[in-house]
Amino acid sequence: MKLSRLVGVVVLGGVVFETIRVTHMFVQAASARVTYTRQVAPILYKNCTTCHHEGGAGPFSLMTYSDAQRWGQQMLRVTQSRYMPPWLPEPGYGDFADSRRLSDAELKLIQEWIITGMAQGDLADAPAPPQYDATWQLGTPDLVLKVTRPYTLVSSGTDVFRNFVLPYPLKQSHYIRALEIRPGVPQVVHHANLLIDRTGAFRRAHTDDWQDGIAGMELAVDAGSTFDPESHFLFWKPDTPVLMEPEGMPWRLDPGNDLILNMHLKPSGKTETMQAEIGLYFTDKPPAKHPMLLQLEDDAALDIPAGDKNFVVQDEMKLPVAVNVLGVYPHAHYLGKDLQGYAILPSGEKKWLIWIRNWDIDRQSVYRYRQPVFLPKGTVLHMRYTYDNSVDNIHNPNDPPIRVKAGNRSVDEMGHLWLQVLPANYPQDGPDPRLLLEQAWMENKLRKDPRNVDAMFNLAGAYMGEGHDQAAIATYRRELAINANDPRALTALGAAFENAGDSRQAAEAYEKAISLSGEQLDARFDLGRMELNHDDPRDAEQQFRAILEREPDDAGAHSGLGLALLKEQKPDAAQGEFEKALALNPQDATALDGSAQLAISSGQPGQAVDLLTRAIKQDSDNAELREHLAMAYAQLGRFGDAADQLKTAAAETPNDPTVHALLSQVLDTTGQLAAAILEQQKALHLDANDADGWNNLGVLEAREGKIIEAREAFEHALRLAPDHAQARANLAQLQAKP
Amino acid sequence: MANGGDLTTKVLTSGTGEKSIGDVVRADLILVELTMPSLPRAVCAPTRILSSGNAACRLYMVVLLLLGWTAAAQAVRYGVDLNGVPVTELVRPGTRSVVLFFAASDCPISNRYLPEMARLRDEFADRGVQFWQVYPNPGDTVTVVRQHRAQFTDLPDIVVDTDQALVRMAHATVTPEAAVFVRAGNTLHEVYRGRIDDRYVDLGSERPRALRHDLENAIASVLANKSVPQPGGPPVGCTIVTRRP
Repeated sequence: MKLSRLVGVVVLGGVVFETIRVTHMFVQAASARVTYTRQVAPILYKNCTTCHHEGGAGPFSLMTYSDAQRWGQQMLRVTQSRYMPPWLPEPGYGDFADSRRLSDAELKLIQEWIITGMAQGDLADAPAPPQYDATWQLGTPDLVLKVTRPYTLVSSGTDVFRNFVLPYPLKQSHYIRALEIRPGVPQVVHHANLLIDRTGAFRRAHTDDWQDGIAGMELAVDAGSTFDPESHFLFWKPDTPVLMEPEGMPWRLDPGNDLILNMHLKPSGKTETMQAEIGLYFTDKPPAKHPMLLQLEDDAALDIPAGDKNFVVQDEMKLPVAVNVLGVYPHAHYLGKDLQGYAILPSGEKKWLIWIRNWDIDRQSVYRYRQPVFLPKGTVLHMRYTYDNSVDNIHNPNDPPIRVKAGNRSVDEMGHLWLQVLPANYPQDGPDPRLLLEQAWMENKLRKDPRNVDAMFNLAGAYMGEGHDQAAIATYRRELAINANDPRALTALGAAFENAGDSRQAAEAYEKAISLSGEQLDARFDLGRMELNHDDPRDAEQQFRAILEREPDDAGAHSGLGLALLKEQKPDAAQGEFEKALALNPQDATALDGSAQLAISSGQPGQAVDLLTRAIKQDSDNAELREHLAMAYAQLGRFGDAADQLKTAAAETPNDPTVHALLSQVLDTTGQLAAAILEQQKALHLDANDADGWNNLGVLEAREGKIIEAREAFEHALRLAPDHAQARANLAQLQAKP
Repeated sequence: MANGGDLTTKVLTSGTGEKSIGDVVRADLILVELTMPSLPRAVCAPTRILSSGNAACRLYMVVLLLLGWTAAAQAVRYGVDLNGVPVTELVRPGTRSVVLFFAASDCPISNRYLPEMARLRDEFADRGVQFWQVYPNPGDTVTVVRQHRAQFTDLPDIVVDTDQALVRMAHATVTPEAAVFVRAGNTLHEVYRGRIDDRYVDLGSERPRALRHDLENAIASVLANKSVPQPGGPPVGCTIVTRRP
């Protein structure tokens, strides 16, 4: 009886292992019998029931003995073929956390259990079943976002790819340490990707229908105008509804951001109505580590002839900095067959990142490494994808096969290898290493497609971040040579000119951007900020007011207006604007700083300390905030704290003479004369034309008893500014001494 | 018995309400059920709609005839409908072909084929093709199948194959799987058994859409009196669970 059933299975599956099974049957008969309670339940609970439980993403439950019995024959086939548990990476080509690949021993146990009649065994041996409840797994989220309108998935047909927009409703920024996606009907969701649309552009591009979801497999989301690269894989797959970020690596949501839930849905046979929810968990701790996503691709080369069985697309990119690779996300559509990602180290050693031999879009996933994979600077990343556009590829969406190019429909193709990397071993005083990665990435894109304007825009942004203003200007101009009237590029060009100190051309570019598009509020903002920096608060005021006419809830414009009014000596009006900004966004660093300056000037340093401490939490790299905080501390007589702030600020901006000069004064106040002299010397080293600075150095040196040096310093001040009365008086006093 | 008429109607026509017979027959049939529950399944060749073949079935017929029932065609029992009433006839007047679709309420692939089966029914139902949706698994009790029907609208006539008589008659092995029978006089002759189409090549190996519609081609060939093409690959789905005696 058992034997005949066995044969039936073999014939059905077309799998050839009948002889092995028979042998094992006899071997097992001699030894202890495999039972559900002792051997099988632990395997199921560890590898299967995260999806296969009542209400889970799996189509049926495997929680009980009778469940396991019911699905025994399927379990045998799908585990032997390794369709289940879903796990595509080839073992030995990347060591991944949460690998769901069953060991050979586990496979054998399942097989033996089924062919020996699926014995239950002693109930005393049964492990406690895991608990899956329907509530949020990390407790009540700090914020729950829900897709606006329920979506009805058709009952049949090809898979559906849909994008749902979830606007972030808060007026404050938050760091997100964890999220849970509840898709509504998990059984029909293959996987989902959550994207952050920093500018809300996708929603604005679909004003009429975004609430119903927008079709499409992938999205290109505008990254906005500041360098803020995508950093996290926010990927949902059936067994991992909760995504917890590692300590120190939260991601951020700002007012005006949208989350876009990109879902791959599979019709179930009946219409399904679903309304996904996303639970967000906040943390107050800003990120200590800044990962970044990198992408290898060659979409331009994706042009696969009909019938081609082995079409190869490759890309490579040299790393300008060392990185630790945290995770990898290979992506293709239905023609992808063999997906390889690897790195060639400077030593010539080949290090595999991932190899998927039999790609299946339905089972795609992000894979995170058990240990970060260290790749030294100079390593070359490689992607090598092979596509099968023949009739033999059963996934081929086109019948008969047709020529296929890159695109975001399921009949188009894609070839992307995403890596999440954390820069390593980079000099602390150099530019943000992510800028170097961005530069290498975009240069690589332009090598493949010299007219890629997005790559030009991003590359120019990277140059600007690195301080290469002329290179940035040249690259923006290169973009504008293709799209002469792109307001975004013009705005950015304005910023590059401004950085390079050419405020005339900067203003021209900003004004052209504004004239081309009234929506170009960034240009107005930048122009307003530049006018503020150039002590032209009246014009700046006009820019910020123009923005507020369109966007009354723009906290940044309120704080900008506040600064303008402050400079126009209208403290009360300025205070009002700062308060409006803080009501909209309690973390607006500019408004906090502005209020603090008002507090310092009205003799309330305690309040200023509070405000500035809050501001620094948002923007810990901002030396100016620390200078202001030092001033508040100094007003309170807390010179030690003031010195600490200035030391941190000096570390942030080692080339800013003002910080060193301020630090020198504070150190002097606390009696650290030698250190004070050193800092003043540093300040003068950075700005040798500061007559006041030379005078101050002279005073410090005189007190230290260094008469000759002091005299030289005063004389230096007088050479720079012959009318410097204090220097002259100090010199006279010095000469009067015995 | 306020609902007695309904009950009887179901027995004879398997849910369509086309025929009706008198109260006496209704009561007698239930008596047969109670006294000879295993007879039709165990001995009568289930492929016959007129039981004139072997001794046991003749005996069964005799019993029925003795009880005053004239319609011998109702002798064979295939399972029960969603009222728990035995289904004894798979054909209706004008039926040229019977299609059995083996389904399981908990099998995802089977469920995914329900819209395709509805499409085929729309295409062929008024051309003499009688569709039955058969639930062969022990877990698919009348109650469970009722719940399933409530979730999936537009289902055809349903048989809960409580004795797996239809499984044996069709030689079905998995859900979803289909069997096509041609009516030849008083017998049903199986001409096709296997997959609905080629969308699933194996568990976990699936085309975006079917390229070859095996079942549809088979039914069309039957109606055109052509030789019936056989399935191009094995059925893929969930193994039918054997009922234990």
